[in-house]
Amino acid sequence: MRNYLPGAALAFAMVLGHGAAAVAQTKPPAEASKAATSFDPHDLSGVWMQDRPRLGTVLERYWIYELTLEEPPMTAWGEVQYKAHKSSFGVHAYPLAETNDPIYRSCSPPGFPRAFFHAFPLQIVQAPGEVLVLYEWDSVRHQIFTDGRPHDTALGPLWMGDSIGHWEGDTLVTDTVNFNDKTWLDRIGHPHSDQLHVIERIRRVDRDHLVDEITIDDPKAYTKPWTGTIYFALKPKWTLAEEFCEDISSFENIEKQETTPAK
Amino acid sequence: MRRLQLSIALAFALAVGSGAAALAQTNGAQTKPASESPRASSSFDPHDLSGVWMQDHPRLITVEERYWVYKFTVEEPPMTAWGQAQLNAAKTSFGPHAYPLAETNDPVYHTCAPLGFPRIYLYPLPLQIMQAPGQVIMLFEYDSTRHQIYTDGRSHDTALGPLWMGDSIGHWEGDTLVTDTVNFNDKTWLDRMGHPHSDQLHVVERIRRVDHDHLVDDLTIEDPKAYTKPWTAHQIFVLKPKWTLAEAFCEDQQSFEAIDESAGAPAKK
Repeated sequence: MRNYLPGAALAFAMVLGHGAAAVAQTKPPAEASKAATSFDPHDLSGVWMQDRPRLGTVLERYWIYELTLEEPPMTAWGEVQYKAHKSSFGVHAYPLAETNDPIYRSCSPPGFPRAFFHAFPLQIVQAPGEVLVLYEWDSVRHQIFTDGRPHDTALGPLWMGDSIGHWEGDTLVTDTVNFNDKTWLDRIGHPHSDQLHVIERIRRVDRDHLVDEITIDDPKAYTKPWTGTIYFALKPKWTLAEEFCEDISSFENIEKQETTPAK
Repeated sequence: MRRLQLSIALAFALAVGSGAAALAQTNGAQTKPASESPRASSSFDPHDLSGVWMQDHPRLITVEERYWVYKFTVEEPPMTAWGQAQLNAAKTSFGPHAYPLAETNDPVYHTCAPLGFPRIYLYPLPLQIMQAPGQVIMLFEYDSTRHQIYTDGRSHDTALGPLWMGDSIGHWEGDTLVTDTVNFNDKTWLDRMGHPHSDQLHVVERIRRVDHDHLVDDLTIEDPKAYTKPWTAHQIFVLKPKWTLAEAFCEDQQSFEAIDESAGAPAKK
């Protein structure tokens, strides 16, 4: 249903491998302001795709799989978890047959914010009192209540967390807690505990671009809060496709076709 | 998040076991059939289907009717020889001929495979409908399942799939949203009873908001490989203005056996 030429599987393959750089030749959002036409900054609806500027180096190929290129400041506990995670990608990648990445082993939900770090688009839909982020990957969704309710600690622990949000001017500020500890933060294997607290500052900077500044606060895993920024470009002609994890049965085959930096 | 006294797990347990009737009494049995309750209607736009809805079958009395949530009709649909062979091979985990959960071959219970469409309707959990220009989006609480119906005039895209949820387009005929869904894979069951379908499945729905609080969905299921003729089902949904969808991933329902045992399900041991 989406109108881009490579099929979804091919797009996935491209980004799993070395093709990510091809996605990256878009101008930085801040410099693309002439593309802006009339828009309502409180209307985030549409189909959006991650869009990181200036991907040149080998390390930057991995943009889609983590929030920042800098290592976050881990606690001893965090470091132990991180070392135990056998990531399937990056400079110290394990072959897919050996990774203990929960997604690759059992198609478990990606969790939040890892749901952002897949090479597939998302759709934002708004209704009174809520903003819904619908991810193409595995049909997961993230529901942010903006009706003034507090967190509900009777819920969960949850894979996608319990999210509330409010507008500060033209910025949607979201606050998500009440997580389980079964997911990784990213494909690289950065850990989190059930104390994870995620704050997003989401802003539609012009008609075609969305910026999401994400702060990760997890005192069990990290010595201090840390922040990364992800960028999205509007895809007016795209619609979400079906992309259940169950259909991606050929992770190994996909990777073999690509020149991945396997260990 | 939902203002339901029962937790999700308990609601699930109730409905998995013999408690479905109890659920039906709180939600459904006291509600009159939608078409007979016009005075419940206040101002509403019949083209606005948005909100959180819960299945609401009135008058569930007999033992057979307890199983409403697991199949579309009480009558057996007219099966082809191929369809009958598939049904015979299905080791269902519920109903009068239930297999224990350890022995069922229901794809959902062993691998958390997507339920597929239209089986996704047959879970005792709510759904939320959202509308955006050119599309109607159904978000099912169970397993974060999404069903998107395009109403922008596009045709089916046969280059897609085969898909678990199918490829859905729709249009309005007066106040009725008519949807048409094709392009399915053949990996799912139509219901928990194991009624089969092939990749020739074609589902037509006529969805109508009959009053402020009720939605009626008339489904026609056509699959010439599995059924000798098209057959229909009728679903009623009631608006739950104070509910919001909760998280209910299949992965959290690890203890299907324990749930069925504690709920006293009529599983054969």
